Amino acid sequence: MTEAFASAQDASPKYESARDPFTLEVIKNALAAVADEMAGTVQRTARSFVVKEALDFSTALFDADGTMIAQGTCLPLHMGAMPYSILAAQRAFDGEMRPGDIYVMNDPWDGSTHLPDVVCVKPIFLGESLVGYAATLAHQTDIGGRVAGGNASDSTEIYQEGLRLPPVRLYDGGEPCVSIFRIIERNVRVPETVLGDIRSQIAACTIGERQLLELIEKYGLVDFEAYCVELLDYTERFTRSEITKLPDGEYDFTDYIDNDGIDPGPIIFKVKITIAGDGMVVDFAGTSPQVRGAINSVYPFTASAAWACVRSILDRGIPNNAGYFRAIKVLTPERSIVNCAPPSPVAARGLAGFRIADTVLGALAQIVPHLVPASGGSSPDAGVSLGGYHADGKPFVYLEFLVGSWGGGPWRDGMDACTGIIVNYSNTPVELLESEQPLLVERYGFIEDTGGAGEYRGGLTLERHLRFLGDEGTIQVRSDRREIPPYGLDGGAPGTPSNVRIRRAGGEIETQPSKFLTTLRRDDVLEVRLASGGGYGDALARDPARVLGDVREEKITLRHAAEAYGVIIGGTPPAIDAAATEKLRAQRRGP
Amino acid sequence: MNYRVGIDIGGTFTDMVFLTNDGSALTLKVPSTPDDYSRGIAEGLAQVFKGGIIAAGAIAEVIHGTTIATNAILEHRGVKTGLITTHGFRDVLEIRRLRMPTLYDLTWEKPQPLASRANRAEVIGRIDHQGGVLTPLDEDSAVAAIEKLLGNGVEAIAVCLINAYANGAHERRIGELIAARAPELPVCLSSEILPEIKEYERTSTAVVNAYILPVVARYLTALSASLERLGVTAPLLVMQSSGGAMGVQAACLRPIHIIESGPAAGVVGGAEVAAKLGFKDVLTFDMGGTTAKAAIIEDGAFDRVGELDVGAGINYAARLLKGGGHHVGVPAIDIAEVGAGGGSLVRIDAGGALAVGPDSAGAVPGPICYRQGGTIPTVTDANVVLGFVNPDYLVGGELTLDARAAAQAIKTQIADPLGVSVDEAAFGIHRVANAAMTRALRSVSSERGRDPRRFALMAFGGNGPVHAATLARSLDIHTILIPPTAGVFSALGLLFPATEHHYVKTLKREIQDLDGAEVAAAYSVLEADGRRELASEGYGADQVAFERFADLRYRGENTELTIPLTDGDGIGEATIRAFGDEHERTNGYQSADEVVVLVNLRLIARGLSGETRVPESLLVTTQAGGAVTRRPRSVYFGPKYGRLDTAVVDRGDISESGLDGPLIVEEYDSTTVVPPGCRIRRDQWQVLRLDIGAEQE
Repeated sequence: MTEAFASAQDASPKYESARDPFTLEVIKNALAAVADEMAGTVQRTARSFVVKEALDFSTALFDADGTMIAQGTCLPLHMGAMPYSILAAQRAFDGEMRPGDIYVMNDPWDGSTHLPDVVCVKPIFLGESLVGYAATLAHQTDIGGRVAGGNASDSTEIYQEGLRLPPVRLYDGGEPCVSIFRIIERNVRVPETVLGDIRSQIAACTIGERQLLELIEKYGLVDFEAYCVELLDYTERFTRSEITKLPDGEYDFTDYIDNDGIDPGPIIFKVKITIAGDGMVVDFAGTSPQVRGAINSVYPFTASAAWACVRSILDRGIPNNAGYFRAIKVLTPERSIVNCAPPSPVAARGLAGFRIADTVLGALAQIVPHLVPASGGSSPDAGVSLGGYHADGKPFVYLEFLVGSWGGGPWRDGMDACTGIIVNYSNTPVELLESEQPLLVERYGFIEDTGGAGEYRGGLTLERHLRFLGDEGTIQVRSDRREIPPYGLDGGAPGTPSNVRIRRAGGEIETQPSKFLTTLRRDDVLEVRLASGGGYGDALARDPARVLGDVREEKITLRHAAEAYGVIIGGTPPAIDAAATEKLRAQRRGP
Repeated sequence: MNYRVGIDIGGTFTDMVFLTNDGSALTLKVPSTPDDYSRGIAEGLAQVFKGGIIAAGAIAEVIHGTTIATNAILEHRGVKTGLITTHGFRDVLEIRRLRMPTLYDLTWEKPQPLASRANRAEVIGRIDHQGGVLTPLDEDSAVAAIEKLLGNGVEAIAVCLINAYANGAHERRIGELIAARAPELPVCLSSEILPEIKEYERTSTAVVNAYILPVVARYLTALSASLERLGVTAPLLVMQSSGGAMGVQAACLRPIHIIESGPAAGVVGGAEVAAKLGFKDVLTFDMGGTTAKAAIIEDGAFDRVGELDVGAGINYAARLLKGGGHHVGVPAIDIAEVGAGGGSLVRIDAGGALAVGPDSAGAVPGPICYRQGGTIPTVTDANVVLGFVNPDYLVGGELTLDARAAAQAIKTQIADPLGVSVDEAAFGIHRVANAAMTRALRSVSSERGRDPRRFALMAFGGNGPVHAATLARSLDIHTILIPPTAGVFSALGLLFPATEHHYVKTLKREIQDLDGAEVAAAYSVLEADGRRELASEGYGADQVAFERFADLRYRGENTELTIPLTDGDGIGEATIRAFGDEHERTNGYQSADEVVVLVNLRLIARGLSGETRVPESLLVTTQAGGAVTRRPRSVYFGPKYGRLDTAVVDRGDISESGLDGPLIVEEYDSTTVVPPGCRIRRDQWQVLRLDIGAEQE
């Protein structure tokens, strides 16, 4: 309470208004710092690979009305979902909230978006009055149901997918609700991991509460609330002024998922982005109806994916709060794969989210062609879950989402091996994996010649081979981009398709469909190959020096240089044969 | 009288402090010579020797803080480096951990791997996670890999095999095979340089070491030679990121340890000065031209982390979202950095809010008031307009300033669009810069469960003492310490630490399965390494001290806590209790029913020099500048106080009983702002102490 300068300013007539831009900036920074501190707490104390290594979680702060005022630097795809959890908590506990409460929920239609994403919401009180909420969402390694890992794509109704909690009290006035903890414990395969992760969410909510209260005490509740209102308005203004810079018009794009693993495909994702003045509408009319397999997306997830993509073409100084959403309207057809209704299965809805993002980015590429790259394998398109029991009867669950490379862009090659913009995923270190799971990794690396050809080539694909060292396990894979590979842009070739095989201990090789569930036995090897990035621009326009660079780097072969790019390279050290290249390229281009 | 010399190199100036054991200190600032930094050092020393103040023969020790290792990485000036990996894992170095350090960014550029794919070769042979050999090393494949890399003309080779942390036999054999073919070629084995689990992190560490080794070795050899030419025969030590010094030979072999050399020296200095005054809990705050750095000292000790992300750039979220740079797994003082310094650019963003940094005007064009072509206002321009910084000149009169141009730019670019006065706008800029720096201070305190309000703030660096008072107020900190030679404080800090070496060994065991004999044996190996290293630096068997630590976590957690061992030599109940307490402090809870896992054993081996390295008292003289008259000036302290005629004094003018603000303390290398409501006094060791009064009126 002794920030004399701030208070001095705030006391002067000029600064009585909540529009003092300096204090606004200070509060904006402070709120973002609190949300990030919550995120740091989850990261340090979580137990599962998915949360602690892949950072598949989010943190946020809300005002007393439930409007999001800050979000941690976490997973972009969760961006717009958590506000629905606050709404659900408000509906469930209207007038009954009290200090020390924490609510837990994971219903997909209550902001969780699929059952493994468990949300904890803590109402924050200053004395007796409710002043805000701290919330965390984390992807649990298991949530019960028929397949370990909570991510099966072949369930056909949500009841098969595991434990489904409406908003319930996890803490009641500071006391843990033991029965809820016990229900969770009995329903999941790896309770130590799941309860450990939930504990980290609780710790983060408590830290968020403490620090939000410190902020409110520093500025006083009245001023603090006025600044929160102004922060949201400022964010909306900022967003709208950015949209104004974009050319007005309508921009369409269509992309696909091969199939849902049950019915034949393809599944169509269609978007029309309309920019008119300072507003933007993202409309998914024409997108396929919801499907039988568990790759349906609930509306908040679809909107989050769209918001995250649009965010990436605007100024990065825009704060992460609900003011941003006001300027961008997201429309979806009812009962479609981008807005499914209960009891649709949704466990593997990540896949729909990635394709929604690919589709939106394809439209954005027409609006800001200097910025947006071709599609790639940089979303975790391949999800692998493996569950079973060790010889001593203890269960194991291995869950990993594999990420590949970027598509080529307007000014550069696709980044080889890098996460995309909507899920800032990480990989699981081979050595950690081997020390904690019955697995031996035999290969993890690039495949030469795989990037989609273009003036700027797509990133190379990645391959991961896992040898199973247990007696028996159930493996479930949901992957895609097998039949319809990632798109190229501006004349660039599409990426190479994905593939998943099992090399059985006996030596026989089984090529699996993109989505499958089967049994692994000792020394079977799962071989996952991701799709590579699409190319950008005409491959015959690629600077031969770049092609030579790739050859010297041993990322492409001489043969690929000639076939894909019309560049003839030979000799030691390798050099470009300019005359032969010119001739071949002329011949390729035709008359 | 013998002197020890601390030499800290920065981009613009090289700072030197000469110190006697009884506390006479001489400071000197000379221009840096980026083409060959050792030349600037030699010129500075020659100047002192020629002046007859100090004789070359009177130099007893030289301790160096250098950016040579960092710059070699950032500027891609390392050598062509080869990497040998396990079959199937050639691309681990380039795949990295996949993560981007920023969100929503389509323009982020992934750092190029320091060993290109053509210079990465695989060998057949496989070790499992317990150190067992699954497939023996195929020496033919190893020889083929080595010959390919030698044929490519690599100048150093790193070797990192899967699970080598558990068994380094294959790596050692490959090292022998390389030595047989290229005896002079530097080789870095991951199992020797960082026997820790996680293959990307270990690979990157070994590769970075190989990449910079020849560059650092060349520089330090040249520096040793030029010291010798000047008649300085004293040993040359180099500051490590960990806060300990190391001999020049060790630095040439393991240059990854000297990456954060300079910033570490400031924190070590801060810890020692705080101890002299009896302060145990201190936040250090080092603000320069482009960045501000913060670190925490608790119970007299600074915090360390186990890794650096070199070249990640400055990012608020860098501590959460790693992956922007090259991973180096070395012990380093935990220093948080934000892109807010005197040169940070100020503008109004599209939403109508004031934005400060993170981009900087740098040395060129610099702030507008420097008259070097800058057109966008900076934090320094605001401080000049406010009168916090002398509006006429800097560095003892060597640089004259244009305050009028700074005020004009702030008026047209900031004040007019926001509808406030120039003073209000300048003060707003100062506050918004503080908001950014607050994040650095919070990330080492409240983010780790430490309440910043119970710490004193020690401010140094050229701009630290300018912002300290306002910053302390926004964090509710009540005491500020401004150490002597604040503007060249890192050079002083170099003189305090002992020589030390850090060792680590992964031993991943659940605590109930721990075999005391295995732990003891592992520590003995580490101690033997420490003894050997220190003996080669001239320390006798009775001049060596060890400190043991264990990295512990609950089963399933990601992040270990490093706990000093309190059970004699092993890991017992007291250690587990200490872990639980630390977990509670850092993460908000502990649980008695969870399984604790040991991950790494750590050892620090220290060389004991026998003499005290921090004198009882300090008397500073400055080699250059300072002959400037001090006139009172008008200073704007915020809308409540408005402009006040403010006295400008020298550190020597401040007594032990103290003076009340408003006041400006102007020195050759820094300026301390004392707002109304604060009192400043001179404490022991020439430290200025500001008491930030409770809310006035």
